[in-house]
Amino acid sequence: MANLNIDSVKSRTFDAIVIGSGMSGGWAAKELTGKGLKTLVLERGRDVKHLKDYPTTNLYPWEFPHHGVIPTEVQEANPIVNRCYAFGEDAAHFFVKDKEHPYVQEKPFDWIRGYQVGGKSLLWARQTQRWSDFDFEGPARDGFAVDWPIRYSDLAPWYSYVEKFAGISGNRDGIAELPDGEFLPAFPLNAVEDYFSKHVKKSYQNRHVISARCAHLSKPNPIHLEQGRGQCQERNLCQRGCPFGGYFSANSSTIPWALKSGLCTLRPFSVVESIIYDEKLGKATGVRIIDTNTKQAIEYFADVIFVNAAALNTNLVLLNSTSNRFPNGLGNDSGVLGKYVAFHNYSAHISAEYDGFKEWTTDGRNPAGGGYIPRFRNVYKQETNFLRGYAAGFSAYRRGTDNSDGIGQTLKDNLAKKELGNWGVGSHMMGETIPKESNYVTLDKSQKDQWGVPLLKISVDYDDNDEKMKKDYIEQMTEMFTSAGFKNIRAESDHRAPGLDIHEMGGVRMGNDPKTSMLDKWNRLHACKNVYVTDGASMTSTSCQNPSLTYMAMTARSVDHAVSEMKKGNI
Amino acid sequence: MNRRIAIRNMALVLASAAVLPSCLNNDKGKPVVQLKHLKINADQENLVSNVAETILPKTNTPGAKELGINLFIFKMLDDCNTKQQQETFLAGLDEFDDAVKKQYGHSFNDCSQQERTAFISSMEKPKPENGKKDEPAKSAVFYNMVKGLTVFGYTTSQYFMTKQVVYELVPGRYNAWFPVKKQAV
Repeated sequence: MANLNIDSVKSRTFDAIVIGSGMSGGWAAKELTGKGLKTLVLERGRDVKHLKDYPTTNLYPWEFPHHGVIPTEVQEANPIVNRCYAFGEDAAHFFVKDKEHPYVQEKPFDWIRGYQVGGKSLLWARQTQRWSDFDFEGPARDGFAVDWPIRYSDLAPWYSYVEKFAGISGNRDGIAELPDGEFLPAFPLNAVEDYFSKHVKKSYQNRHVISARCAHLSKPNPIHLEQGRGQCQERNLCQRGCPFGGYFSANSSTIPWALKSGLCTLRPFSVVESIIYDEKLGKATGVRIIDTNTKQAIEYFADVIFVNAAALNTNLVLLNSTSNRFPNGLGNDSGVLGKYVAFHNYSAHISAEYDGFKEWTTDGRNPAGGGYIPRFRNVYKQETNFLRGYAAGFSAYRRGTDNSDGIGQTLKDNLAKKELGNWGVGSHMMGETIPKESNYVTLDKSQKDQWGVPLLKISVDYDDNDEKMKKDYIEQMTEMFTSAGFKNIRAESDHRAPGLDIHEMGGVRMGNDPKTSMLDKWNRLHACKNVYVTDGASMTSTSCQNPSLTYMAMTARSVDHAVSEMKKGNI
Repeated sequence: MNRRIAIRNMALVLASAAVLPSCLNNDKGKPVVQLKHLKINADQENLVSNVAETILPKTNTPGAKELGINLFIFKMLDDCNTKQQQETFLAGLDEFDDAVKKQYGHSFNDCSQQERTAFISSMEKPKPENGKKDEPAKSAVFYNMVKGLTVFGYTTSQYFMTKQVVYELVPGRYNAWFPVKKQAV
């Protein structure tokens, strides 16, 4: 019997455990196995295998029962996820439905989740920009949150490392506040995007409109072909999963790579209940999961643990990992666990028309989405009555007119005849929000989910800084649009709840001081040296770049550190 | 290809349903399409199909019934509209047919093709404002729902997306600067 037990423990023991298989978990799996570690990857949802599990990927619009529209019953049953722009008939199966996993909204928060192997990396908008020191120095310079324990130079080689493997298209624009990377050819700006870019360059100091940098294989390198991925075919149906592997997802790239090593065990249907802490050894020894099919609790053991459950779920796992040593959650000596959660403010957009470049249109589709405007507010100095600033998307498009006038042959002719109208232009803001102690997540004291894990209670809201910033975005963009000669300018501010940006961050922030932060400069818990957090939870501040690329770089860097610590015998 | 035939057959079934004698106590007859929420009788079903066919008739190219767009309309009404929208639709349908009866002395289903086209054409024209900002008449709401779904069904149909305005699942290109002159219309 005893022997059986030992054997059983042995079969449940690995060198490393990764919690989560999405954007950052996939990278942790790839890097750990790449360095020869026997790695267990835990995923709470089902498996989604590249190509095999993309049921809608090759469907034409008329092949969907409702031609793309989500049925009313589903919409009414899912008010939260239904607000997400990508929740359509072609991708609904990759989103968590509201009832599947409830949470408590102390304040309105639209928590958008993808519980499957690959997580939300299947569904992301694929925008990838590096941070710069204007971002890492932000909190220290402007006096909020805590100082980042790292600077751009710490991450730069790792950005390069992950960019080469993932495949990022872009131009080397030479902008200090948005460092260049290892790029595949960019998707070009079209006539009106290019016109606006030149206009802005000429009329403003330190404002740029560049081709959006994105995780698409515009021209694959051997390393991408080796992953079994091919050139992006400009379908722009990425949320279905790509039959060409044209965009980066954990499913098409890092997870199969990790599995190919022979060192990776992927375990779907595994909800992590908590991380096991051994007080005698003074470190984490493993992870306790609930198998979602059998409801059985199982323990797995490892020398090092990477927590990549997605920002808020990583908070939940740590908060629920209590012991005598850590009664308030693993590594939570400072009391800041779950606090200083922040997000991106997406609540304004602006559109207009341009009566020019009539001789040009576009042909095909642009997976990059068009242009990107890096942050230009308060970059070199504090110049407004609010802190920090915003990036913005910018795109121009020329569509055929939709004329459904008349009936009979007239109507048929009108529908088939696509006359080109004016160019339309649009922009949306992506504002940095200031992390605050009053924006927090915690465990609900009484309600549990079907696996016995406490529900997460979310209390996150906008503040006055966000309002001022939004006002400024609308003013500045209106002025830039006006001076460019755009007409029919319509700025709109909406009242979406936080969360719909799908860029929630923080709660397990990095910092130099264990008294005010959870993680050290290697993304490792100050108080538990063999647990690393390298997803959105680790973010000390949010800046305004799309964050995924930074999570990838941080993860690769942290794995490198963890393995060197293991070699030295420190872990 | 098989899909196409299946849809056509369904459309044929539906078209022939109009001429089948109803063997129910209910003199309105039993609808052909099985719906989950929307309760309509055969007359109402035919009326909607006939309105769709009048909006989008068979010419030298297929019409609504041949393309099964009337079936799509019922599916969308049933699955993608709220209870309230469905109630408005039905009330509008009755109001619409009452207006037809008032004008021609019989139901839309018994109208000649000319009468149908004339009446639908009148629905197309915005009513002159009578000075009051009233809610639009229910019949107008009904008509706009049928028209909207007919247009949506048609422009996202296999026929339209392969024969009229070709939809590319895999463009394989992005030309950011494309001369309008070169665009195939």
